[in-house]
Amino acid sequence: MIQLSNVSKFFENGKNAVDDISFTVNDGEIMVLLGTSGCGKTTTLRLINRLLDASSGTVEVNGENVKNIPATTLRKNIGYVLQNNGLFPHYTVKENISTVPQLLNWPEDKINARCQTLLHKLKLAPEQADSYPHQLSGGQQQRVGLARALAADPPVLLMDEPFGALDPLTRYAVRQEFKSLDELHTKTVVLVTHDIEEAFQLGDRICLMNAGRIQQAGRPADLLFHPANDFVRNFFDSQRTQLELSTLHISDIWDSIPEGYNHNGHTKITADSSCWKALSLLSAGPVIATHQDTTKEITGTAIMHGLQTYKTR
Amino acid sequence: MRMEPKTGFFEFIQQESGKLLQQTLTHTGLTFISVLIAIAIGLPLGILITRRRKLSGIVLGIAGVLQTIPSIALLGFMIPLLGIGVKPAIVALFLYALLPIIRNTYTGIRGVDPTVTEAAIGMGMSDRQLLLKVQLPLAMPVILAGIRTATVINVGVATLAAYIAAGGLGEFIFGGIALNNTGMILAGAIPAALLAILFDWLLSLLQNMKGKQSRQRLYALPLILLLLSSFYLLPIGNSGPLKAGFTPEFMGRRDGNPGLRTVYGIHVNPLVISDMIMYKAAYEKHIDIISGSSTDGRGKAFDLVVLQDDKHIFPPYYAAPIVNNTVLENYPELEPALNLLAGTINDSIMTALNYQVDYLKYSPEKVAREFLLQKGLFKSARNGSKGTIRIGCKIFGDGYILANMYKMLIEGHTDLAVSTKLGLGGTKICFDALNNNQLDVYPEYTGTGLLAILQTPANITDTLIANKDKVYAYVSREFEKQYGIKWLKPIGFNNTYALMMRRQQMADLQIKSISDLALYLKK
Repeated sequence: MIQLSNVSKFFENGKNAVDDISFTVNDGEIMVLLGTSGCGKTTTLRLINRLLDASSGTVEVNGENVKNIPATTLRKNIGYVLQNNGLFPHYTVKENISTVPQLLNWPEDKINARCQTLLHKLKLAPEQADSYPHQLSGGQQQRVGLARALAADPPVLLMDEPFGALDPLTRYAVRQEFKSLDELHTKTVVLVTHDIEEAFQLGDRICLMNAGRIQQAGRPADLLFHPANDFVRNFFDSQRTQLELSTLHISDIWDSIPEGYNHNGHTKITADSSCWKALSLLSAGPVIATHQDTTKEITGTAIMHGLQTYKTR
Repeated sequence: MRMEPKTGFFEFIQQESGKLLQQTLTHTGLTFISVLIAIAIGLPLGILITRRRKLSGIVLGIAGVLQTIPSIALLGFMIPLLGIGVKPAIVALFLYALLPIIRNTYTGIRGVDPTVTEAAIGMGMSDRQLLLKVQLPLAMPVILAGIRTATVINVGVATLAAYIAAGGLGEFIFGGIALNNTGMILAGAIPAALLAILFDWLLSLLQNMKGKQSRQRLYALPLILLLLSSFYLLPIGNSGPLKAGFTPEFMGRRDGNPGLRTVYGIHVNPLVISDMIMYKAAYEKHIDIISGSSTDGRGKAFDLVVLQDDKHIFPPYYAAPIVNNTVLENYPELEPALNLLAGTINDSIMTALNYQVDYLKYSPEKVAREFLLQKGLFKSARNGSKGTIRIGCKIFGDGYILANMYKMLIEGHTDLAVSTKLGLGGTKICFDALNNNQLDVYPEYTGTGLLAILQTPANITDTLIANKDKVYAYVSREFEKQYGIKWLKPIGFNNTYALMMRRQQMADLQIKSISDLALYLKK
């Protein structure tokens, strides 16, 4: 668990300051710090592993004030992924991944086994263990960066724009793999991004920041449907409909969908699918969904009507 | 008459292969011991200033200033502090090697991708681990480039170490310049250049290593440097009861150290030392026997006494201006003006004049003017418009004073103007300049003309050497015939080679002549 209480950080040049921030990230949760560049989200992240020290307020990791833990000890227990991967160019893939276990003096065979596991989980070929970073593609490099951060199985993971340097296609694929990684379910993750779609795809909760302050923190649906202020409302306007459809599940609008369906040749989905997914499947033919022992046909009109109803509820 | 062929490069290195090897090893040792010290101090200093950014300006500034001090001057500064020989040479070379090593360490570490550094810190590396595991390995190619630069600089500057009796390939180079022996110069210069190329290439191999090898080089480099440095521990110079320090010129001339060996049977193992610091080094008891020149003012200043040359190995060195014939034809008034000085300066006057310059630190110009005034030869300059005479001189006392006198005489007694090129590095440089019409006149010595320039064979030399007039007649004739250069009338003094020792030590050991010295050394 990570807890920030009334944390402020000021720089002499006045940039990237963070002003009186408080939030909590629970175990196994992914918290996304979202905002435009210069809003203080990266500064906030760096306060957690003490790359920066707070001017005032307290930062606690698993119940302990980070100022009371030696910085190197603290950092060895926090995985860290950087935008441009920050891989050591003079180390092989395997040496990069085993950096923290080496620092922790793990036995050789344990390190080897861990590397094998991570290479497999992150879909890297075993023979790439001896390659150098410059021999890999951007997506592969970022996977190695992720593997390096996960190597010592730290309870906490900090990610600073981890997919920002990748091209859109690769970014999407790596993000999907990241999300389906089993190791992640037990970790407390703070992820910094300026990409709204990424925030909604990955975040259990989103903390939207502007000018060093938190504008709103909550589940993605809270930010969309119950914005705390105009900044939050306006921030999502450009992609609002798509975000709303992606965030709402069929089950959320189930009551608004008319009863009845025709059996023949339908695509079947579950009710926890997003409305966006249902809409995209509609282009290939009629879609039906089953929820609480009833089955209904999902149409475009039904979804849009459901969305309207949900928002005015 | 048969002329002895001038010694070629290959003959020379064949004859002197043992010495060449020893000098090369000394040179290598001198270069690397100083580079090693520079690494030992420069690397930590370079690392320190990446940590304490405010210091970087000061440290790099000081190292930069040290780099701009002319090497020969830096060696000169070292003598009062550290005496002569190995210590000042290593310190001076070390100071030269410092800047490239500090600067490249600093820029190498600063140049490491900040994302990589941040990743290392973020993963929990301590400052020490960050340095050893990330910054140094990644900065290593840049640091090695600095070491390469330092090494190449030091191979070059180490040639100057011969000036202060630290040995190395400079001994051949300076000896060759002084002796008009191209083969000898090349025997020093070519190996020095090859050493620079070789070390540069070896270090470039190290620099370009990839991957795993690159970590091994971290450990290999200090070992290799230590090994090369250890060459300097090989014995050089001096083991007898008396220490000798001879100039590079004296070391190679037939009437110098070789003469001492063959005629007197004196086998000292001398240090090679620059004329500029030799007298003081003898006075300060760093060395006991020096190859001075008899009219040098510093002999008088430091109370050094000339050992009697009882077997006559040093030929007469009567000074006289030598001039290109074409210049004399173009300006007939030149010869009488130059000859005004003929016969006016004997040995003791010359010594006294040199004493005023060398020890009392009067300017050669002032000393020259006062002498001419006293002799009634001085006339104020006529602001000559007829043409310009170029006067040169070698880099020691007599030359500066005589050149100034000739300048005043020509300007006062003729309508010619004078430009001077003083302090030229040796016989070869002066004479080649005159012979190639870059100079019109400079003062030369009969003995030098006989042995160094004409390279007169031993059988002819032997018949001349005891008689100063025969030597003068011989060189006059041969210069006229071979080069079209005229020897004007001798000035009067005989600035011959002389072995010199401290007065007190000579009395203690009861040594008066070179034969006495030979006898003492055989005991």
